[in-house]
Amino acid sequence: MDFYFGLAQLIGVHTLLGLSAYIVLLTGQVTLAQAGFFAVGAYTAGMLTVLAGWHLVPALGVSAMSGAAVACAVGFPALRVKGLMLVIATLAFGEGVRLFFFNFDYQIAKGGIKVGPLGGEGFRQIRFFPENGWETWDVMLFIWVFVVAAMALLWWFDRSRYGTVLRAVGEDELAAQSVGINLTAVKVSAMTVGGAIAGVGGGLYAHYTTHIEHASFSILLATFAIAYPIVGGLRSVFGTLLAVIFVQGFLVEGLRFLGDWRNLLFGALIVLAMNLRPSGILGRRRHA
Amino acid sequence: MKKLALAVSLALAAGVAHAQTIKITGFGAKSGVVRSFGINSEAAMLAAADVINKGGGVKLADGSKAKIEVEFLDDRCDAAEGISVIRRIAGTNAVVAVGPTCSNVAEPLFGILQKKVGDAGDSGLQMPVFTDVAIKVGLAKISDWAFRNVPNEMTMYNSLFYWLHTQHPNLKTVYGGVEEDFAHSRATWYVVMKPRAEASGFDVVGNTKWLLADTNFATQVREMKKANADIVAISAHPFSTCGVLKEMQRQRVRPKLLVGLTSSSSLETLQGCAKQAEGIIIPTSFAPINKDAVAAARTTAKFKGAADLHSMAAWENMFILKRVMEAEGISGKPGDVQSDRRKIRDGLAKLKTTKGLIGVTKRDAEGEADKPYVFVHANKGEWKVLYNPL
Amino acid sequence: MLDFFQTLSDGVLFGATYALIGIGFTLVFGVMHKINMAYAAASVGGAYAGLLVLKVLAGAPAWLVFLGAFVAGGLLGWMVYVTCFHFIPLSSPLATLMSTVGMLLLIDEVIVHVTAGMPQGYPAMFGDVMLFMGDFSMRGDLLLVFGVSVLAMIALLALLYRSRLGLATRAVAQQPVAAQLCGIRLVRVNALTFVVTGLLGGLAGALIGASVGTLSPLLTVPLTVKGLIVTVIGGLGSIPGAIIAGLLVGGFENVLQLYRGVTERDLYVMLLLFAFLVFRPGGIFAAKGGRD
Repeated sequence: MDFYFGLAQLIGVHTLLGLSAYIVLLTGQVTLAQAGFFAVGAYTAGMLTVLAGWHLVPALGVSAMSGAAVACAVGFPALRVKGLMLVIATLAFGEGVRLFFFNFDYQIAKGGIKVGPLGGEGFRQIRFFPENGWETWDVMLFIWVFVVAAMALLWWFDRSRYGTVLRAVGEDELAAQSVGINLTAVKVSAMTVGGAIAGVGGGLYAHYTTHIEHASFSILLATFAIAYPIVGGLRSVFGTLLAVIFVQGFLVEGLRFLGDWRNLLFGALIVLAMNLRPSGILGRRRHA
Repeated sequence: MKKLALAVSLALAAGVAHAQTIKITGFGAKSGVVRSFGINSEAAMLAAADVINKGGGVKLADGSKAKIEVEFLDDRCDAAEGISVIRRIAGTNAVVAVGPTCSNVAEPLFGILQKKVGDAGDSGLQMPVFTDVAIKVGLAKISDWAFRNVPNEMTMYNSLFYWLHTQHPNLKTVYGGVEEDFAHSRATWYVVMKPRAEASGFDVVGNTKWLLADTNFATQVREMKKANADIVAISAHPFSTCGVLKEMQRQRVRPKLLVGLTSSSSLETLQGCAKQAEGIIIPTSFAPINKDAVAAARTTAKFKGAADLHSMAAWENMFILKRVMEAEGISGKPGDVQSDRRKIRDGLAKLKTTKGLIGVTKRDAEGEADKPYVFVHANKGEWKVLYNPL
Repeated sequence: MLDFFQTLSDGVLFGATYALIGIGFTLVFGVMHKINMAYAAASVGGAYAGLLVLKVLAGAPAWLVFLGAFVAGGLLGWMVYVTCFHFIPLSSPLATLMSTVGMLLLIDEVIVHVTAGMPQGYPAMFGDVMLFMGDFSMRGDLLLVFGVSVLAMIALLALLYRSRLGLATRAVAQQPVAAQLCGIRLVRVNALTFVVTGLLGGLAGALIGASVGTLSPLLTVPLTVKGLIVTVIGGLGSIPGAIIAGLLVGGFENVLQLYRGVTERDLYVMLLLFAFLVFRPGGIFAAKGGRD
């Protein structure tokens, strides 16, 4: 049973990652930067609970804010580039964040040993959950509270004017501008919200794996981040959730019985999925 | 007539008797550049189980014998997946897990285990993990449930540099090459090789750095050339080790001796650059130097795996576990999985020595091993024993 | 001072490998306007396939292996076209992006499965040749790579601007519907251009393998990143730009490695990219005006 709770934790964290990309993709910006915001959130939350002894909830709050702040800072220059250039720029940003943490040392002595991030060796022993007696079930529920909150927020956006505005910008920027939509505000705000969600996701990730290092936040993770909303379809947040369950639940864990073939099928099934349903599992929104 | 009757009744009894199995699950990397490690560990575990089962199996507390069943899961050398895998294993009736391959998986994985056994306030996983490969220094002390059967690099390099100093009194200087972005290789230079070389009387004149996936070593090799040290020690994995060695060949940098990283004493280095690696000396905890070792290698080959220090640790683990299971008297019954796991943990913790393939392995209170070792060097495309301190 | 020039020279020379893969990237991304994230993986895959020549003919000369990689690259290019671009409608760029990512993962896995992830020594031409001028030295094999890049550039420019296929390629990239109205067979042109870029990619993969000395699945993702950076800095669609950018990036990263160390090196390469994106988004040779 523990295994399924653990899997649910993993799916929850990845869903947050996917949702952070979802809102940005709605505005037509293909972003490979989400793993960078995720990393910022992870290190922030980890440092606050381990070095400063904070409780996890306020630490996650700060993660969200730091993720949002960095995303906002990225959002403005991102306005200047489009399409492929944006993909490359965000990829470079994500790598930049990873390289920053690769070089980042901040250790203090606690109880005789040194704790904190140590550059290439990573940040170990982030043991808030086990030290406070949280069971796998408790952690799972905790993570899912945030997932449900994020999904609710984005679902509410989708039903409100803001969501329509986001999608309008995504469909056709010129037309959106011509009806008076402020492109800057829309794109940067989407990026910021995405950054906040990724920050929370990262903070949760750090605590459930207990050890993070620069290599955890690679280009592959950034690719997974946009893979979820693309494979799930941009019609609704549930698409992203379905895609995470498909990838992490089915492809990664479900296919274990196939042994070696599992890894080969991974890429092949993604190619197949995109060919069969280019708009994603749930498809894209079609207005009348 | 009597013999026939005896034989028939034994056969009937065997058929009727309840066939019990003990499940041991291995896990490690079967993806990416480290895939060969997983393949070899799995083969070694299957081979060892085969030998044990052919000998009747494991003796349970009630006197019956059970066969060992081995399963192997792929963690893709990824921390989150490794955690998922160990939770999955804990949810089955496996009594112990053998793995992981990668140090970057071992560290977080040990982190989710219960830290101190019996601590009711600690909700960490209670599953004994007996590591075969992940070698980064100092990990088993993270949890009472974590044990490792990996060589102690501190001891080996201490011995190696001491031996080199006595064998080659005319060699004075050492220069290092470090792979900075991999936990194991980085730690081994700064924490093990450098201080041990100095302690043996060498003058460490400096070191140069690169990254795991680097492809251009011109600058680093120039620094190496300038330092002009007698001995060059490379703490890196096969891909970048080969890259550096090829650049050294190109720039005509020929140190008198080359020393390498423990885990590079495998087929990979020879596959990538046997010619340039000629002569490199590496301390290792396995070489086919006696009957047992050769037999283990042969049996593992039958299961399509290569025998090296990593896979042979997995082989040894299986036999150690058999001994522990029998000593602690595990029940093997489906309802007793958790108590069996606890017995195995306690049994492993009690061990002071274990039988290794090339000698006796000492075990310490932290769950770490001090394995017997030999020095090998690359010779005409093979690893040959250079010096056997045993 | 000599240190600086030597380091710069080492870096620029190694940049020839980035230039070679960058040419393919800029063609695919800039001329054909296709986001093919699997390009570097297919190139490395082609290089691996080239090693099969050695299995059949032990001791075969290096150029034969390169030829094998060249052919395999073309084949892989065609496969990427069929799996990622043939069936997926043009109106779903995200789907093609994701599909090429899937192919990248698949090709990587196939390589890992076949070789058990172990590094494979690669044959080289002039692999040991070093030109010494006193204390200063230059790698001979990289000069060959540079030479091949220049030759490839000439060949491709001739193909693009002097041949019917090139004309058709440019037409299809700019205005697919109008091109079809002119009688250009869309499927055939697309498939052929993928094959051509694949051929170049296979050769690039082989030469990179030869320059590095060993092939490993570790190469695919970093090469993809480098290729993308070179494409942006050189200007989307500009082949001479890709070459210059490749040399520039190679020199820059090596010099920064000398002064700031290997752990910070890649950070500065990213900053270089950002500088270009902010101050000169069109790259060194901004593509001639026209549609986005």
